[in-house]
Amino acid sequence: MQVTLKDFTKTFDDMTVIDKMNLTVEDGEMLALLGPSGCGKSTTLFAICGIHRINGGQILFGTRDVSNVPSQKRNVGVVFQNYALYPHLTVSENIAFPLSVRGDDKAKIEREVRAIAELTHIEELLARRPAQLSGGQQQRVALARALVRKPDVLLLDEPLANLDAKLRLEMRSEIRRIQLETGITAILVTHDQVEAMSMCDRIAIMNKGEILQIATPTDMYRAPVNKFVAGFLGNPPIVMLEGKASGDGRFIVNGGAGLPLPSRLANIPGDTPLSLGVRPEHFGAAGASQVSGTITFVEPQGRETLFDVTLADGVVLRSIQPAREDVALGHKVAWPLDAEKLLAFDATGQAV
Amino acid sequence: MRTRTSLLGLGFVSPALALLFAFFLMPVVLTTVFAFTNMSTATGITGGSHVITGNLLRDLGNAGIDNDVITALGEASFSVTSETLAAAADAGVEPRFLGEIEARLMGQNFEDARSFESALKSLPSRPTRIRELKLATEPFERSILNTRYASRADMEAAITSMAPDAPAETISTIAEASYTGWRWIDGGNFQTLLDRPETIRIVLNTVFYVAATLAFNVFVGLFLAITTFYLPKTGAGFFSVLWLLPRITPVVLYAVMWKWFTWDNGFLYVIAEQLGLPAFNYMKGSVPTAWATIILVNGFVGASFGMILFSGALRAIPIQQLWASEVDGASRWQQIRQIILPQLRWPILFVTSYQTLSLLSSYEQIWLTTNGGPGSTTTVWALEAFNTALNNYTGNLEYGMGAAMALILVAVGLVLSILYLRMFRFDELVNKPRIEF
Repeated sequence: MQVTLKDFTKTFDDMTVIDKMNLTVEDGEMLALLGPSGCGKSTTLFAICGIHRINGGQILFGTRDVSNVPSQKRNVGVVFQNYALYPHLTVSENIAFPLSVRGDDKAKIEREVRAIAELTHIEELLARRPAQLSGGQQQRVALARALVRKPDVLLLDEPLANLDAKLRLEMRSEIRRIQLETGITAILVTHDQVEAMSMCDRIAIMNKGEILQIATPTDMYRAPVNKFVAGFLGNPPIVMLEGKASGDGRFIVNGGAGLPLPSRLANIPGDTPLSLGVRPEHFGAAGASQVSGTITFVEPQGRETLFDVTLADGVVLRSIQPAREDVALGHKVAWPLDAEKLLAFDATGQAV
Repeated sequence: MRTRTSLLGLGFVSPALALLFAFFLMPVVLTTVFAFTNMSTATGITGGSHVITGNLLRDLGNAGIDNDVITALGEASFSVTSETLAAAADAGVEPRFLGEIEARLMGQNFEDARSFESALKSLPSRPTRIRELKLATEPFERSILNTRYASRADMEAAITSMAPDAPAETISTIAEASYTGWRWIDGGNFQTLLDRPETIRIVLNTVFYVAATLAFNVFVGLFLAITTFYLPKTGAGFFSVLWLLPRITPVVLYAVMWKWFTWDNGFLYVIAEQLGLPAFNYMKGSVPTAWATIILVNGFVGASFGMILFSGALRAIPIQQLWASEVDGASRWQQIRQIILPQLRWPILFVTSYQTLSLLSSYEQIWLTTNGGPGSTTTVWALEAFNTALNNYTGNLEYGMGAAMALILVAVGLVLSILYLRMFRFDELVNKPRIEF
């Protein structure tokens, strides 16, 4: 079911945390609300499921205006960061809860719980209590409980934050699998760009209560609308150089050397203040221009190696390359820079 | 090394152990000991002496002791010895008269007052007035009635001297019965309690009082905790403090306020009068209103206690669980019934068991308000025990009986605690959670 926020406004006491936000989540789509803590992403989620009252605007599920519908009647499934399982109930009672409070008959509940337990692979855990489950199992139970009454929307609030690294990888693909199998519209709230990029069809990146950009993960990575988005996506992060255009298609870093600008910016007038963003994979792999400097830091990561290269004028560029041992700390290198893929931002931080 | 550390530990614990022993174990042990004695104000708590009183003689007669012996013990005799002469001198008998008595009657015994008096009348310097003569005989009277003998042997010797013909067995029985100190009476106190008709009444009163007050405590406590939980923070704080007042008010002041509230011309009285409802002293005027007063007086104190504990436990439930239940479609009532209450099991158990035990042993509010009245309709076990042991109107405090009553209270409390723990599956509650984060 399509979810639409129209001019959604949320205030806490006198503080407006979200001002007139607009967002549409398409039917069957999984959308990530990505942003740093305090950006309003969880607030948005809780407004969609009705835990928080909204102070302005509208929330539509399909064509139904649910802005003033209590959360009990919105038919949403929510997975909370701490799973919020009911500790005094068994797993099957936990999953059955949304059905039993609705007053479904026993046989139907039993059938539905079985089906959803099969989908989430927890059939053998049904008799246990939450305290007897591991984190990943609790996560699956929470997911099953959220899905059991076939909600219009599935909302996930940092669902992987409490899991260890290995389980996180596993549950990432599990959640995505279940979402695709059920075809449910889902909204994932996360501060982890990897989760957002790997699990979702589209990402809405938020900062300070505002959506900065909505795009597919690839588009957003390739063409961030501003410096914040560029800096938020990517690990290891992008290197941002401050400087200005030279007028002849090059970029002068504050304090010295020049770097090439992408050809689309060839006509930018001289002295225009710019920030140039260089992702680690754009330096050292391929490209027309050569940049030379000294390796000042090496971080082997197994499959890849991360290098810091300090140029003659003190500018540090980062490079990530398939693991190599032919260069070491202190070596002088001249590596290619893929100028066409560099990101440039104007003085206000917007992409140019 | 190992021994030294464990000794050190023992050293650290020993003050606590000493306090535990002195203030917890000793009272229980002493109560148990007292419960099997007939200690009272009359017997004292140290040893006693041997005295035969008129009452005792009558009791012994009723108990079937030979009447001749009883008569012999009850009789007084007069004898002139150096001791009685000294006593007479002290009593102020004229010295010349006394000298004559010593010279002529020394060593003689007289069976009764009349023969001694006639003997005295024969003396030249006898007092002219008959009253003085009679007064002069008094120091020479010897009787074991109301005479204290320090040991049993002394008493037996005295009995033998008074009633030489009495068989040894009888003498022994009388000497035994003449003991004024406390003695072991095995289960005598408990037997007395069983035989008393008012015991059952007090037991029923106690059960009713505890059950009704407990129900009030738990339900009102829960109700307050849950309603304040859903109230906005500022209002909730105000209400919490309001409900705490009964608990933080000194008990006597609180009882006095209830008196003002319920007594003749008190708050309720005046209002009822205005409304044309029956107006009387609600605290003591009728049995139902007396019970209502007691239950409310104690109930409000306990309700605030329950409220505090339940509120704390409520706040310990992660808010996400409540959110989750809401988005799962649970109404407020379903949320309370199915999510909140099951998780309050432990505090409810605690309040229930703690309050049962404290209500069982509490009497001070009742004592200060209805004092068990009207009649003994609101007298509970603890109040009766207190009155028996420490507050008897006639002045004879029956420590032994009071201790027996207290001991029964302790036993009932223990049994109840064990029952509660089993009922609420305590072992399961304290199981280590295996939750992973």
